[in-house]
Amino acid sequence: MTERVVCATEDLPPGSRVVVSVDRIEIGVFNIGGELVAIRNRCPHAGAPMCDGLLTGTVVSDGPQQRRWAHDGEILRCPWHGWEFKLPEGRSLVDPPYLLSTYEVRVLDGQVLVDTASGRGTRTRAEART
Amino acid sequence: MSAAGAARREGTELAGDDPARLATVSLETAARGGRPPACAIVDASVHVRPRSQAEFRAYLPRLWKTRRLPSGDGYYYPNPAGNHLRETYSDAGPPGSDPDLLHRHLITDGGVDRVVLHPLTLGLLPDIDLLGAVCSATNAWLADTWLGPTHDRFHGTIRVAPGDPVAAVAEIERWAAHPGFVQVGVPMQSLQPYGKRQFWPVWEAAAAHGLPVCVHADAETGVEHAPTPAGYLHTHFGHAAVAPFMFVNHLTSLMTEGVLDHLPGLRVVFADGGFDLLGPMMWRLDKDYRAMRVDMPWMTRLPSEYLAEQVRFVAHRMDGPDDAAVAGEWLSMVDADRLLVYGSNYPNWDFLPPGLVYPDAAAEARERILHGNATRLYELDRGETA
Repeated sequence: MTERVVCATEDLPPGSRVVVSVDRIEIGVFNIGGELVAIRNRCPHAGAPMCDGLLTGTVVSDGPQQRRWAHDGEILRCPWHGWEFKLPEGRSLVDPPYLLSTYEVRVLDGQVLVDTASGRGTRTRAEART
Repeated sequence: MSAAGAARREGTELAGDDPARLATVSLETAARGGRPPACAIVDASVHVRPRSQAEFRAYLPRLWKTRRLPSGDGYYYPNPAGNHLRETYSDAGPPGSDPDLLHRHLITDGGVDRVVLHPLTLGLLPDIDLLGAVCSATNAWLADTWLGPTHDRFHGTIRVAPGDPVAAVAEIERWAAHPGFVQVGVPMQSLQPYGKRQFWPVWEAAAAHGLPVCVHADAETGVEHAPTPAGYLHTHFGHAAVAPFMFVNHLTSLMTEGVLDHLPGLRVVFADGGFDLLGPMMWRLDKDYRAMRVDMPWMTRLPSEYLAEQVRFVAHRMDGPDDAAVAGEWLSMVDADRLLVYGSNYPNWDFLPPGLVYPDAAAEARERILHGNATRLYELDRGETA
């Protein structure tokens, strides 16, 4: 375990995000309605800085010709190509083999801690396809 | 042979209005060359027509029997090579009207085992009831004239007018149980792309009966859109090269409106060629699907991923590179051995003989294009023991 302090909890209220560089990895921590999610600041498709992306919802279909707003506040859209990833698991909605790298994150004594050795997910196209 | 020789000797004479003497392409010449395939052959695109107006009108109900019909010849591009192969003209009727002659050309002499017949209708007519009657009569005529027990190598196309979905569905229901019909035929020309919701009942009916929907350029009566969004090209040369690309609009529409997701069993066949545009088109669509998916949440796959299960193209003489070395690479790049079915386009001048279907491709790929893909698509081996 390689835990690093990201920030104080009061600096990460619900709806906000913090991006830090720790152990030469850029990691973003999102507070989604009280739940903390840590991801690597890199889109597995083409390397875009994911943490610059819009956190929003999306449209899903329950049947032919039907549209419904869903996953409000859980969809992170890549700032370069608009790919949608659903947090907290980081799975791509549009090409499911692709997965954001996520890290274990917890709160201890008013500090947000990320385990920089816990990253898992896909980093390349080849990885995503296997 | 002597007739062909005579026509050549008369080459500098005025041919007048005799279409047989305007036909410059001979079946015998067109069928030469290439590499005759070793496998059985299915010809998936052959065009037939009645011998005469009288033969056709016999199948119209009294209501329409004495009604004038538009010629369907609002065709703006006379073909300098003539429209049909020279040998397909006969005293008995126009090209593609004589079952025995067609049988001899394609099956006896041509080595084809099974033929899918696709008669054209009158494209789009302003009077949709008249068009429906023409489609119904065409189907009854085809069943009587070509699909009887004496012609067990011939398979038919149920012609419908999607502009009247209620009548089109009724027509599919009327013929679906007839063993001779293997697909539903609709015009390439349409005032709306085929993914639009008004057409869904037609595609649902076809899918429910396991009948592929075949899209083919039909007769033109003057109520279609212009052949290109920029208007009219100058000559037949440009028109014939560009017209098949209309498939792009229908295919993109069927994907983005959700038809292919809604009907996983639907098979769509584009029968005018244009397959060489499919690869680049899929690159374009795949690229932005991920960013745009939110606009069509019913679309669950990358555009290119629908093709293998739901889309086929009839091979056309004009498709693909001439260079055999390039052609091999291109064919494997675009999954041609899974997506293409052979069709000759007989009796039209741009006839594609089996021997010229990618003669340098691997034997297995040729077998699929010339036989296997169409056999599975149309379930032509149904009822045969394995």
